[in-house]
This record gives sequence, structure tokens and C-alpha cells, in this order.
Amino acid sequence: MRDILLVRYGEVFLKGQNRPFFMKKLMDHIKQAVRDVGGRVWLSEGRIYVSDFTDLETCIRRVTKVFGVHSVSPAVEMEKDDFEAICTQAVEMMRPFSGSFKVLARRSDKRYPLDSPAIMREAGGYILSRLPQLTVDVNNPEHTLMIEIRDHAYLSVERFPAVEGMPMGTNGKACLLLSGGIDSPVAGFMIAKRGVELCCVHYHSFPYTSERAREKVLELARLLSEYCGKMRVFVVPFTEIQMQIHQKCPENYTTLIMRRYMMRIAQILAERDGAQALITGESIGQVASQTMEALGCTDDVVSMPVFRPCIGMDKSEIIERAVKIGTFETSSLPYEDCCTVFTPKHPATHPRKALIAKAEEALDSEALIQAAIEGTELVEVG
Amino acid sequence: MIYLDNSATTRPFDGVIDAMNACMRESYFNASAAYRPAMEVEKAISACRRRIAAELGTQESGVIFTSGGTESDNLALLGVAMTLRRPGNFVVSAIEHPAVAETVRRVERLGHEVRVLPIDERGIVDLSACETVIDEQTALVSCMQVSNETGAVQPVAQLGALARRKNPAALLHVDGVQGFMRVPVHMGRMGVDLYALSGHKIHGPKGVGALAVRGGVRLAPQMTGGGQEKNLRSGTYNSPAIIGLGEAVREMAQRRTDVEAMRALKTRLWERLSQTEGIRVNGPLPQEADSAPHVLSLSFDGVRGEVLRNALEGEGVLVSTGSACASHKQKVSTTLRAMGLSAAQADGTIRVSLGLFNTAEEMDEAAEKMEKLFALLRQYRRR
Repeated sequence: MRDILLVRYGEVFLKGQNRPFFMKKLMDHIKQAVRDVGGRVWLSEGRIYVSDFTDLETCIRRVTKVFGVHSVSPAVEMEKDDFEAICTQAVEMMRPFSGSFKVLARRSDKRYPLDSPAIMREAGGYILSRLPQLTVDVNNPEHTLMIEIRDHAYLSVERFPAVEGMPMGTNGKACLLLSGGIDSPVAGFMIAKRGVELCCVHYHSFPYTSERAREKVLELARLLSEYCGKMRVFVVPFTEIQMQIHQKCPENYTTLIMRRYMMRIAQILAERDGAQALITGESIGQVASQTMEALGCTDDVVSMPVFRPCIGMDKSEIIERAVKIGTFETSSLPYEDCCTVFTPKHPATHPRKALIAKAEEALDSEALIQAAIEGTELVEVG
Repeated sequence: MIYLDNSATTRPFDGVIDAMNACMRESYFNASAAYRPAMEVEKAISACRRRIAAELGTQESGVIFTSGGTESDNLALLGVAMTLRRPGNFVVSAIEHPAVAETVRRVERLGHEVRVLPIDERGIVDLSACETVIDEQTALVSCMQVSNETGAVQPVAQLGALARRKNPAALLHVDGVQGFMRVPVHMGRMGVDLYALSGHKIHGPKGVGALAVRGGVRLAPQMTGGGQEKNLRSGTYNSPAIIGLGEAVREMAQRRTDVEAMRALKTRLWERLSQTEGIRVNGPLPQEADSAPHVLSLSFDGVRGEVLRNALEGEGVLVSTGSACASHKQKVSTTLRAMGLSAAQADGTIRVSLGLFNTAEEMDEAAEKMEKLFALLRQYRRR
């Protein structure tokens, strides 16, 4: 008898002929996730198991963060021949609970002397007679004890939902513009969830933003890497570009022009890193640079697709997601808003493309972009 | 690197590190134990107590070791508040450190009234205004010896005298964290009843400090347990830290001329910076008598203090904005605002604070970098 973890996977089962490719990726990521707690990961009859781990809680925490996993259940694996022993174990597992319960059984070994209804009936009766705090409710139970008869018997009570999605690395790579705010980590998470590998670009405006602001962004990237594995973060020196824009361009267009430079540079870095799309945390109308017209202006300067998964979400919805994935607290640290010197008092909300292009003529774009890229620092996280 | 954030914390003297090391390696015994080696530790702790008492002009028996300035302030204020039979009023200055300002909010919840003393434009408690704030019901007056933000030395003795004139039983608590061993104090002569100090501001270790209590002042313990420190502060003696503190006090006492020399360094820095238009000192000027030798608050016209601080870090000069304790909260300093600075001026403030390791060359280099960065950054004002 030993403790194991049952892993159920989600959308991967919809795959047809290429399912083995997705399964292999999924298995690889689970193996990676539990490597340092000594877990062994194996596949049997379409179900993934983790065994031989040193720390069950860490194992659960890690595996529920692997994209593609639907849910996990800590379970006991035991010999199936002694049904009395199975019932005794079932009582032990139900002992901490009170309220209503039912037993659910599944028998893939059809030679087993008891069929599924018989297992449910027998085990259920056994538990009920020994644990007076429990009552049976087969329709809407508070607790469900699962007994599965395969090569061994598997008993489980608890079930922890996981992130779902598609296994990482099955859908290409995209480059996330990571600001340090609440929205961009959520946007990155949502795209990564679809199996898309991430790299990140962060624009650092030293001395207008501090070392702590930079550390905060790297911490956000690290939090994301708990889901998507190792990531490269490009930290781009951006002060010179901001200063030039501030000096040479009309004030109401400075933010938008700055956004356009961010996109241009991100695209170059993305191409170098093998990414096929950009991701931003923008949401329609949240700030002046996120009106429809403004978004159109920023899209104009890149040829890659730009994914904006938060586009239709309210701030409160984005915050809710950030809390759930665990980035909200770090995003809320107050190190960011030193950039007010560059924020126009009345930013254009209905920008005109011709005016922007004209304003940008005042800048030596090529040299500015070149210098920013040359000064870019690469940090690996995760 | 030029370290100019000594009011946040100081680099320990080598002698402090050696003494603490020796204590941890060899004299690790519990000072309260009965055997000979433990008694040796106890003696070393007593020696430290004696040195502090001598520095403060008070009795050795009144020195209680704590975990630092914050705990000392808590013990003084709550300790007094909890022994009072009748509700009274606690008077604190408008510029107190959160260790005092937050603690009196708890005093308030114990049923006492809290009153605030205003300050003048130099950041010094306005004694004329005190006449109406302090009255017969005043149980305690609390004021810092030296402002952590401006270095302004406060008229604590006058405050104490005034309070006792109104109510002979009134007590005076002085938060001496920024003043201890840099600005002279004599508890007896100055009428100070309670005095809080910290180790790591005088090149000693962090996590240790003391509250000096004049004979006859009753306190309720805030930490109960094994009854150490005459039952006023239970908990096993933090002997390495206390011995480190003792060593720091010893070395600071030997180097009194160096402490005064810090004022010359501070003056040197300001004389150079004062040549540039747009830089001003908040609080007393370095050469004035009520300016502590080590703290200098500077406002730079049209530049955010935070940005200048970051830029100085990029050049290897470490300072803090406004006040280090508040700087990660990104609040505009209430002290600076109370002195009449505009929000923009307060926001454009950095604090330079010196320690005994600083040199004249460092002052010149720091001044040069400040001038250079100020000229650069002020070009990019918000339009």
C-alpha cells in the first residue's frame, strides 16, 4: 500500500491522431514539475500517476499548475484481492469527514469478483456501519469516495482542480510585454494556458524607475514561470527613447508614440527569440492609450499578430484572475509610478495616424531602437 | 560605493563584529545561568549597561535592553500608559517616528487623550504653541531628540521643564535613536525620564537597543515571561548583540572628535551644493547649533527625489528619499509638509546621512554627482 497522486487531464483527450505528441509534452511537464520532490510519473490505461514523492502537498501544488491537467486526487494504491482490507482503508480515509457521502466505483478489471454496483453497495455499507457521523446521499453528496479497480485498487476522496489548458510548448511561442502592473501577467497566463511558450520584454526607465521596480517585474516573471517553466526576460533600457519623445514630440501624443516604440522593439526581440506573436495586457478603454483608435495606432507598427486576451475584461475581472494565479500581490507593490514626468496631462484619446507619423519624424528611430536593443539585458527566470 | 544613508543604518565597527563573533563562538552561555562562564557573559552585559548609563547621565540600574528603538518606544509609551490610574493626555510632536506616532494610537485606545505639538518652518517643535497644548492633565510628553528626516535637534529639556511646570508628575520620553552619541544628552540635567536608543545607528548591531528609565518611574512590562531585566523585559539576553552594542558605545565614546568632524563633512557638502541654484536645505543649516552633525535634508527644485535617488544609486551614491522608513510607502513626508514645503518640494527631497566611515573626498564626489544629475534631470520637467 502506498500514497500516489492521480492526475486527470483535460482538453488533450479531444485530440485524435496527434494525441501522443500532446501526451508526451504533458508527461514531460509533470515530470519536470515534481522532479525535485523525487516523484516518479507514469502512464497506465490512459491515466497519469505520480508516485514515490517525498512531499505530497508540494506535489499537488506543482501538478495543479501544469497546463493540460484537469484535476488531481491524492489516492492510496493497494492490492485489490483483499476486499475487506479495501473497506478498512476506505473507513480510514472517510474518518475525518462528516455529513453526506457516497461511494463511486469503477472496475476496468472485469474479472474482479464484485462488479461496480456491488463494490459501491458493500463499501458504502461498511463505512456507514462504522462511521456514525456520515449519512448516505447518492444524488448530491458532500464527499465522494472513489474506488477504482485496475491492476491495483485505487481509493481517493479529495479532488483538487488544476489550471486546465493545453500542455506548454504545443502551440508555439509568443512574447509578452510585461510592465509590472496587474494586467500583463494575467494576459501572459491566459495565452500560456493554451500551450504557448512565453518570453517577456520589460522596459526599464532608470532612473525614473528603480531597481526595485525591475526586481518586481522579474518576480512577476518568476511567478508566471511556475506555470510555464523557464522563461527569458529581456530588460530593455528605455529612458533615452522616453526623453527624446518628451523633448521632440507633441505632449498629447507622447504616450502613444512611446507605446509604438515598445511594440517595435518587442517585435524585433520576439523574432530573435523565435516567437510568432506579441501579447499585451491591454483592455479597451482602460486608459487613453487603450482606446480603439489608440490600439489601432500601436498595431500599425508591427506585422506580428498582437494578442490581447484581457481586451474585453473589466478591471475587476482582471484583478480576480490575478489573485487566482497569484500575481496580484506582487503587481500591487508600489514601485512603478515614477514615470509621471513623461505622462501627458491630456493624452490624445482619438489620435490621428497622420499626426503620429509626422511627430515621429522628429526622432532618429533607427538609432534609438538600435541602441535600446544593444543595451538589452537578458535574464533567465524559473 | 559612497554610503550616505547612515540614518537608515550604519556599517558596524570591526571591533563590534569581532566582539559578537567571539561571544557566539566562545561565550554562548545563557547570561542568567548559574555557572562561571555564564556569569562572565552577565558581567560583559553589565559593562555595556554601565557604559550606556554613563553616556546618558543616569543610573546603571535604569537601563533595560530591548530589541531596538521601536521596542524601547513601545515599552516607554505603553508601559507608562498602562500604569496610570486615571486617564491623562499624552503629548507628542508632529514629527515623531512611526514607532512613537503609531504607538500613541494604541495609547489612545487605552483611554488616554493624544495631543500633537506643532513644529515651525525649521522643523523644530514650536515651544510657544506648547503652552496651550500641555496642561495639568498631561501625563507624558514624547519628542525625538533629533529628527530622522531633517536632523533638527529638538528642545527636549525645555519641553520637559514646561510639562513639569504644568504638572509636576508629567514624564518626558525622548526618542534618541537618531541622537544617541551624536548629540549630547544628560538625562539627569535635562530632566529626561525615559530615553530610547538603538544599536545599529551607532555602528553597532541590528536587533538591539535600550530604554533608559529614571529611578522612580513605573512601567508595565510589554513582554512577560522569565522575568529578565527586573521583570520589565523578559526573554533570554541577546548577549552577542548587547556585547556588540557595548563595543559600539565604547568606540563612539573614544571617537567624539570624529563625531564632531561629521558636521564639518556635512557643511562641506552643503557649501558646495549651495553654489547651485535650485537646491535648498530643509531644517537648520549645517553650521547652526540646532543641526545634528550627521543628517542633511535637501530639496531639488523640479526633480523628484525618488528619481534623483535612483540616479545617484546608478553612480554608486546611496542616499534615501525624504525618510528611509517612509520611502517604500511612497508617501509625501508629513514632517516636510508641516514645515511648509509644497507637495512638489517635499517630493523633491533626498536625505543624506553621515557616519564615521565617511570622508571629505566622498563629500566632494557626492556633491559633484548630485550637481551633475540635478542639471541633467531638471531638463526633463513635467510640462
